[in-house]
Amino acid sequence: MSNRLWLAVLACALGTYLIRLLPLLWMRRRLRRLDGNDSVEAMPQWLSILGPMMIAALFGVSLVPRQPDTTAWLATLLGVIATLIVWYRLRSLGWPIIAGVGTYGSVILLMDMLQG
Amino acid sequence: MTTDTRRLTTPAWWLGMREAIPLLGGYIPVAISFGLVSIQAGFTTWEATLISLLIYAGASQFLFIGMAAAGAPLWLLIAMTLLINVRHMVYGPNLAPWLTTSRWWPWLMHGLTDQVFALAHTRMPQLEASQRLGWYSGAALLAWVSWVAGTALGAIAGDWLMAQWPLLGEVMPFALPALFLVLVMPRFTSPRWTAALLLTIAIAMTCTLNGLTNLGIPLAAGCGVLCFYLVRLGARPNASPASRGSHE
Repeated sequence: MSNRLWLAVLACALGTYLIRLLPLLWMRRRLRRLDGNDSVEAMPQWLSILGPMMIAALFGVSLVPRQPDTTAWLATLLGVIATLIVWYRLRSLGWPIIAGVGTYGSVILLMDMLQG
Repeated sequence: MTTDTRRLTTPAWWLGMREAIPLLGGYIPVAISFGLVSIQAGFTTWEATLISLLIYAGASQFLFIGMAAAGAPLWLLIAMTLLINVRHMVYGPNLAPWLTTSRWWPWLMHGLTDQVFALAHTRMPQLEASQRLGWYSGAALLAWVSWVAGTALGAIAGDWLMAQWPLLGEVMPFALPALFLVLVMPRFTSPRWTAALLLTIAIAMTCTLNGLTNLGIPLAAGCGVLCFYLVRLGARPNASPASRGSHE
Protein backbone atom coordinates (compact mmCIF):
# COMPACT_ATOMS: atom_id res chain seq x y z
CA MET A 1 0.00 0.00 0.00
CA SER A 2 1.47 3.37 -1.01
CA ASN A 3 2.19 6.19 1.42
CA ARG A 4 -0.64 8.22 -0.14
CA LEU A 5 -3.10 5.42 0.52
CA TRP A 6 -1.89 5.16 4.12
CA LEU A 7 -2.60 8.88 4.46
CA ALA A 8 -6.12 8.24 3.18
CA VAL A 9 -6.56 5.46 5.79
CA LEU A 10 -5.41 7.83 8.54
CA ALA A 11 -7.68 10.62 7.27
CA CYS A 12 -10.68 8.26 7.23
CA ALA A 13 -9.80 6.94 10.69
CA LEU A 14 -9.42 10.43 12.16
CA GLY A 15 -12.54 11.72 10.38
CA THR A 16 -14.67 8.80 11.57
CA TYR A 17 -13.39 9.25 15.13
CA LEU A 18 -14.19 12.98 15.07
CA ILE A 19 -17.68 12.25 13.67
CA ARG A 20 -18.25 10.07 16.74
CA LEU A 21 -16.52 12.38 19.23
CA LEU A 22 -17.33 16.03 18.41
CA PRO A 23 -21.15 15.81 18.73
CA LEU A 24 -20.65 14.16 22.12
CA LEU A 25 -18.41 17.01 23.28
CA TRP A 26 -21.02 19.52 22.05
CA MET A 27 -23.77 17.74 23.98
CA ARG A 28 -21.67 17.52 27.14
CA ARG A 29 -21.03 21.29 26.99
CA ARG A 30 -24.73 21.91 26.52
CA LEU A 31 -25.54 19.71 29.51
CA ARG A 32 -22.97 21.54 31.64
CA ARG A 33 -24.50 24.90 30.64
CA LEU A 34 -27.90 23.65 31.76
CA ASP A 35 -26.47 22.35 35.03
CA GLY A 36 -29.15 21.65 37.60
CA ASN A 37 -31.74 20.50 35.07
CA ASP A 38 -32.42 16.83 34.55
CA SER A 39 -29.83 15.87 31.94
CA VAL A 40 -32.28 13.85 29.82
CA GLU A 41 -34.77 16.73 29.85
CA ALA A 42 -31.96 19.03 28.70
CA MET A 43 -31.56 17.08 25.46
CA PRO A 44 -33.28 18.55 22.41
CA GLN A 45 -36.52 16.58 22.00
CA TRP A 46 -35.84 15.62 18.38
CA LEU A 47 -32.54 14.07 19.46
CA SER A 48 -34.11 11.93 22.17
CA ILE A 49 -36.62 10.65 19.59
CA LEU A 50 -33.96 10.11 16.93
CA GLY A 51 -32.01 7.64 19.13
CA PRO A 52 -34.71 4.93 19.25
CA MET A 53 -35.52 5.59 15.57
CA MET A 54 -31.89 4.90 14.63
CA ILE A 55 -32.11 1.55 16.44
CA ALA A 56 -35.38 0.78 14.61
CA ALA A 57 -33.71 1.69 11.30
CA LEU A 58 -30.75 -0.57 12.09
CA PHE A 59 -33.24 -3.35 12.83
CA GLY A 60 -35.02 -2.79 9.50
CA VAL A 61 -31.75 -2.76 7.53
CA SER A 62 -30.36 -5.87 9.22
CA LEU A 63 -33.65 -7.76 8.85
CA VAL A 64 -33.33 -8.02 5.06
CA PRO A 65 -31.49 -11.26 4.22
CA ARG A 66 -28.33 -10.96 2.14
CA GLN A 67 -29.90 -13.37 -0.37
CA PRO A 68 -33.59 -12.51 -0.08
CA ASP A 69 -35.13 -15.79 -1.35
CA THR A 70 -38.18 -17.60 0.05
CA THR A 71 -36.12 -19.74 2.46
CA ALA A 72 -34.29 -16.75 3.92
CA TRP A 73 -37.52 -14.74 4.34
CA LEU A 74 -39.29 -17.69 6.00
CA ALA A 75 -36.32 -18.21 8.33
CA THR A 76 -36.30 -14.48 9.11
CA LEU A 77 -40.02 -14.44 9.90
CA LEU A 78 -39.83 -17.48 12.18
CA GLY A 79 -36.60 -16.23 13.75
CA VAL A 80 -38.28 -12.91 14.60
CA ILE A 81 -41.33 -14.71 16.06
CA ALA A 82 -39.10 -16.96 18.21
CA THR A 83 -37.11 -13.94 19.42
CA LEU A 84 -40.32 -12.09 20.30
CA ILE A 85 -41.87 -15.03 22.17
CA VAL A 86 -38.79 -15.57 24.33
CA TRP A 87 -38.41 -11.82 24.91
CA TYR A 88 -42.04 -11.54 26.07
CA ARG A 89 -41.55 -14.43 28.49
CA LEU A 90 -38.11 -13.55 29.90
CA ARG A 91 -37.55 -9.82 29.13
CA SER A 92 -33.84 -10.61 28.90
CA LEU A 93 -31.13 -9.82 26.37
CA GLY A 94 -29.34 -13.10 25.66
CA TRP A 95 -31.91 -15.89 25.47
CA PRO A 96 -34.22 -14.26 22.88
CA ILE A 97 -31.21 -13.85 20.55
CA ILE A 98 -30.13 -17.47 21.04
CA ALA A 99 -33.72 -18.59 20.32
CA GLY A 100 -33.91 -16.37 17.22
CA VAL A 101 -30.59 -17.53 15.76
CA GLY A 102 -31.41 -21.17 16.60
CA THR A 103 -34.78 -20.97 14.88
CA TYR A 104 -33.34 -19.11 11.88
CA GLY A 105 -30.58 -21.72 11.48
CA SER A 106 -33.01 -24.65 11.93
CA VAL A 107 -35.32 -23.34 9.20
CA ILE A 108 -32.38 -22.83 6.80
CA LEU A 109 -31.13 -26.38 7.52
CA LEU A 110 -34.60 -27.91 7.19
CA MET A 111 -35.33 -26.13 3.92
CA ASP A 112 -31.92 -27.16 2.55
CA MET A 113 -32.70 -30.78 3.42
CA LEU A 114 -36.20 -30.62 1.91
CA GLN A 115 -34.88 -29.09 -1.29
CA GLY A 116 -32.20 -31.81 -1.47
CA MET B 1 -29.10 -11.30 31.94
CA THR B 2 -32.22 -9.40 32.91
CA THR B 3 -32.46 -5.79 31.78
CA ASP B 4 -33.73 -4.40 35.11
CA THR B 5 -31.82 -1.90 37.19
CA ARG B 6 -29.98 -3.76 39.89
CA ARG B 7 -26.87 -3.90 41.97
CA LEU B 8 -24.48 -6.33 40.40
CA THR B 9 -22.00 -8.60 42.01
CA THR B 10 -20.08 -9.20 38.76
CA PRO B 11 -17.61 -6.53 37.55
CA ALA B 12 -19.22 -4.04 35.18
CA TRP B 13 -16.68 -4.63 32.38
CA TRP B 14 -17.40 -8.35 32.50
CA LEU B 15 -21.15 -7.71 32.32
CA GLY B 16 -20.53 -5.42 29.34
CA MET B 17 -18.54 -8.12 27.57
CA ARG B 18 -21.20 -10.75 28.26
CA GLU B 19 -23.96 -8.53 26.94
CA ALA B 20 -21.93 -7.72 23.82
CA ILE B 21 -21.55 -11.40 22.88
CA PRO B 22 -24.60 -11.31 20.53
CA LEU B 23 -22.76 -8.64 18.53
CA LEU B 24 -20.10 -11.18 17.63
CA GLY B 25 -22.62 -13.18 15.61
CA GLY B 26 -22.86 -10.24 13.26
CA TYR B 27 -19.32 -8.90 13.52
CA ILE B 28 -17.16 -11.97 12.99
CA PRO B 29 -18.71 -13.27 9.72
CA VAL B 30 -18.69 -9.76 8.22
CA ALA B 31 -15.13 -9.12 9.43
CA ILE B 32 -14.01 -12.43 7.88
CA SER B 33 -15.63 -11.33 4.61
CA PHE B 34 -13.82 -7.99 4.83
CA GLY B 35 -10.46 -9.71 5.37
CA LEU B 36 -11.11 -12.00 2.42
CA VAL B 37 -12.24 -9.17 0.10
CA SER B 38 -9.20 -7.09 1.11
CA ILE B 39 -6.78 -9.86 0.13
CA GLN B 40 -8.62 -10.33 -3.17
CA ALA B 41 -8.31 -6.56 -3.78
CA GLY B 42 -4.53 -6.76 -3.38
CA PHE B 43 -4.05 -5.67 0.26
CA THR B 44 -1.86 -7.63 2.67
CA THR B 45 -3.10 -9.23 5.91
CA TRP B 46 -1.43 -6.49 7.98
CA GLU B 47 -2.93 -3.72 5.87
CA ALA B 48 -6.45 -5.17 6.11
CA THR B 49 -6.09 -5.66 9.88
CA LEU B 50 -4.79 -2.12 10.42
CA ILE B 51 -7.65 -0.66 8.37
CA SER B 52 -10.10 -2.49 10.66
CA LEU B 53 -8.19 -1.36 13.74
CA LEU B 54 -8.07 2.30 12.72
CA ILE B 55 -11.24 3.04 10.73
CA TYR B 56 -13.48 0.47 12.49
CA ALA B 57 -16.66 1.13 10.50
CA GLY B 58 -17.91 -1.88 8.53
CA ALA B 59 -19.69 -0.62 5.44
CA SER B 60 -17.30 2.25 4.83
CA GLN B 61 -14.30 -0.10 4.97
CA PHE B 62 -15.73 -2.23 2.15
CA LEU B 63 -16.23 0.96 0.14
CA PHE B 64 -12.69 2.13 0.93
CA ILE B 65 -11.15 -1.15 -0.25
CA GLY B 66 -13.30 -1.26 -3.38
CA MET B 67 -12.58 2.33 -4.41
CA ALA B 68 -8.86 2.05 -3.62
CA ALA B 69 -8.58 -1.12 -5.71
CA ALA B 70 -10.39 0.64 -8.56
CA GLY B 71 -7.89 3.53 -8.40
CA ALA B 72 -10.39 6.22 -7.33
CA PRO B 73 -8.99 9.70 -6.46
CA LEU B 74 -7.98 9.88 -2.80
CA TRP B 75 -10.16 12.90 -1.99
CA LEU B 76 -13.22 11.02 -3.31
CA LEU B 77 -12.22 7.92 -1.38
CA ILE B 78 -12.00 9.90 1.88
CA ALA B 79 -15.18 11.89 1.21
CA MET B 80 -17.29 8.80 0.43
CA THR B 81 -15.94 6.87 3.43
CA LEU B 82 -16.77 9.74 5.80
CA LEU B 83 -20.16 10.33 4.16
CA ILE B 84 -21.22 6.78 4.99
CA ASN B 85 -20.17 7.32 8.60
CA VAL B 86 -21.97 10.65 9.07
CA ARG B 87 -24.94 8.85 10.65
CA HIS B 88 -22.73 8.18 13.70
CA MET B 89 -23.06 11.89 14.59
CA VAL B 90 -26.28 11.38 16.52
CA TYR B 91 -24.98 8.52 18.67
CA GLY B 92 -22.70 10.40 21.09
CA PRO B 93 -25.24 13.11 22.03
CA ASN B 94 -27.84 10.41 22.71
CA LEU B 95 -25.54 8.73 25.22
CA ALA B 96 -24.25 11.98 26.78
CA PRO B 97 -26.84 12.19 29.60
CA TRP B 98 -25.64 8.86 30.99
CA LEU B 99 -21.91 9.43 30.73
CA THR B 100 -19.95 10.14 33.88
CA THR B 101 -17.27 12.82 34.23
CA SER B 102 -14.42 10.39 33.48
CA ARG B 103 -11.82 11.61 31.01
CA TRP B 104 -11.79 8.19 29.34
CA TRP B 105 -15.10 8.71 27.55
CA PRO B 106 -13.75 10.77 24.61
CA TRP B 107 -11.19 8.02 23.82
CA LEU B 108 -13.83 5.34 24.04
CA MET B 109 -15.88 7.02 21.31
CA HIS B 110 -13.70 5.21 18.75
CA GLY B 111 -15.76 2.14 19.64
CA LEU B 112 -19.14 3.79 19.13
CA THR B 113 -20.42 1.72 16.19
CA ASP B 114 -24.08 1.25 15.21
CA GLN B 115 -24.40 -1.91 17.25
CA VAL B 116 -22.51 -0.68 20.33
CA PHE B 117 -24.68 2.46 20.31
CA ALA B 118 -27.90 0.44 20.14
CA LEU B 119 -26.80 -1.73 23.05
CA ALA B 120 -25.46 1.17 25.14
CA HIS B 121 -28.51 3.37 24.51
CA THR B 122 -30.72 0.69 26.03
CA ARG B 123 -28.46 -0.55 28.83
CA MET B 124 -26.69 2.57 30.13
CA PRO B 125 -29.81 4.16 31.67
CA GLN B 126 -30.46 0.90 33.52
CA LEU B 127 -26.99 0.76 35.07
CA GLU B 128 -25.76 2.63 38.11
CA ALA B 129 -23.48 5.58 37.25
CA SER B 130 -20.44 3.85 38.78
CA GLN B 131 -20.87 0.86 36.44
CA ARG B 132 -21.29 2.67 33.13
CA LEU B 133 -17.64 3.28 32.23
CA GLY B 134 -16.70 -0.32 32.98
CA TRP B 135 -19.73 -1.72 31.20
CA TYR B 136 -19.17 0.38 28.07
CA SER B 137 -15.42 -0.37 28.02
CA GLY B 138 -16.06 -4.12 28.21
CA ALA B 139 -18.76 -4.11 25.53
CA ALA B 140 -16.92 -1.78 23.13
CA LEU B 141 -13.57 -3.53 23.57
CA LEU B 142 -14.99 -6.98 22.86
CA ALA B 143 -16.73 -5.69 19.72
CA TRP B 144 -13.55 -3.94 18.51
CA VAL B 145 -11.28 -6.92 19.18
CA SER B 146 -13.71 -9.29 17.44
CA TRP B 147 -13.82 -7.01 14.38
CA VAL B 148 -10.03 -6.75 14.14
CA ALA B 149 -9.42 -10.44 14.87
CA GLY B 150 -12.17 -11.45 12.41
CA THR B 151 -10.50 -9.35 9.70
CA ALA B 152 -7.13 -11.00 10.32
CA LEU B 153 -8.75 -14.43 10.30
CA GLY B 154 -10.55 -13.65 7.05
CA ALA B 155 -7.35 -12.40 5.43
CA ILE B 156 -5.38 -15.47 6.49
CA ALA B 157 -7.94 -18.24 6.12
CA GLY B 158 -11.16 -16.69 4.75
CA ASP B 159 -11.35 -18.94 1.69
CA TRP B 160 -10.94 -22.09 3.76
CA LEU B 161 -13.42 -20.96 6.45
CA MET B 162 -16.12 -20.10 3.92
CA ALA B 163 -15.68 -23.50 2.25
CA GLN B 164 -15.74 -25.44 5.56
CA TRP B 165 -18.70 -23.75 7.26
CA PRO B 166 -20.80 -21.95 4.68
CA LEU B 167 -23.95 -22.36 6.81
CA LEU B 168 -22.39 -20.71 9.85
CA GLY B 169 -21.63 -17.59 7.84
CA GLU B 170 -25.23 -17.57 6.67
CA VAL B 171 -26.90 -18.16 10.04
CA MET B 172 -24.80 -16.20 12.58
CA PRO B 173 -25.52 -12.73 11.15
CA PHE B 174 -29.17 -13.19 12.25
CA ALA B 175 -27.89 -12.36 15.75
CA LEU B 176 -27.85 -8.70 14.71
CA PRO B 177 -31.54 -8.26 13.78
CA ALA B 178 -32.45 -10.40 16.82
CA LEU B 179 -30.39 -8.07 19.03
CA PHE B 180 -31.87 -4.91 17.49
CA LEU B 181 -35.37 -6.38 17.90
CA VAL B 182 -34.79 -6.98 21.62
CA LEU B 183 -33.41 -3.44 21.95
CA VAL B 184 -36.26 -1.77 20.07
CA MET B 185 -39.19 -3.70 21.62
CA PRO B 186 -39.24 -1.76 24.93
CA ARG B 187 -39.77 1.44 22.87
CA PHE B 188 -43.24 0.35 21.70
CA THR B 189 -44.90 2.16 24.60
CA SER B 190 -47.78 4.01 22.91
CA PRO B 191 -49.62 4.19 19.54
CA ARG B 192 -47.53 7.24 18.71
CA TRP B 193 -44.21 5.48 19.24
CA THR B 194 -45.54 2.32 17.56
CA ALA B 195 -46.54 4.18 14.38
CA ALA B 196 -43.21 6.00 14.15
CA LEU B 197 -41.10 2.90 14.85
CA LEU B 198 -43.02 0.69 12.39
CA LEU B 199 -42.72 3.33 9.67
CA THR B 200 -38.97 3.57 10.34
CA ILE B 201 -38.53 -0.20 10.10
CA ALA B 202 -40.58 -0.38 6.88
CA ILE B 203 -38.63 2.43 5.19
CA ALA B 204 -35.28 0.96 6.27
CA MET B 205 -36.27 -2.42 4.81
CA THR B 206 -37.49 -0.83 1.57
CA CYS B 207 -34.24 1.12 1.17
CA THR B 208 -32.15 -2.00 1.81
CA LEU B 209 -34.15 -4.04 -0.70
CA ASN B 210 -33.38 -1.31 -3.24
CA GLY B 211 -29.64 -1.32 -2.49
CA LEU B 212 -29.69 1.89 -0.41
CA THR B 213 -28.63 0.44 2.94
CA ASN B 214 -26.44 3.31 4.13
CA LEU B 215 -28.82 6.03 3.03
CA GLY B 216 -31.68 3.97 4.46
CA ILE B 217 -30.59 4.26 8.10
CA PRO B 218 -30.65 8.09 8.45
CA LEU B 219 -33.53 8.46 5.98
CA ALA B 220 -35.76 5.95 7.78
CA ALA B 221 -34.90 7.38 11.21
CA GLY B 222 -35.62 10.92 9.97
CA CYS B 223 -39.02 9.83 8.60
CA GLY B 224 -39.73 8.14 11.95
CA VAL B 225 -39.07 11.38 13.84
CA LEU B 226 -41.27 13.27 11.37
CA CYS B 227 -44.05 10.70 11.85
CA PHE B 228 -43.68 11.07 15.64
CA TYR B 229 -44.31 14.82 15.37
CA LEU B 230 -47.13 14.48 12.82
CA VAL B 231 -49.01 11.97 14.98
CA ARG B 232 -48.74 14.48 17.83
CA LEU B 233 -50.18 17.22 15.63
CA GLY B 234 -53.04 14.93 14.62
CA ALA B 235 -53.90 13.95 18.21
CA ARG B 236 -57.09 15.24 19.85
CA PRO B 237 -56.47 18.33 22.07
CA ASN B 238 -57.89 16.62 25.18
CA ALA B 239 -55.80 13.51 24.66
CA SER B 240 -53.15 12.99 27.30
CA PRO B 241 -49.95 14.60 26.11
CA ALA B 242 -47.19 12.23 25.22
CA SER B 243 -44.16 12.64 27.36
CA ARG B 244 -40.73 13.33 26.01
CA GLY B 245 -38.46 10.90 24.27
CA SER B 246 -37.44 7.85 26.18
CA HIS B 247 -39.43 8.88 29.25
CA GLU B 248 -42.65 7.75 27.64
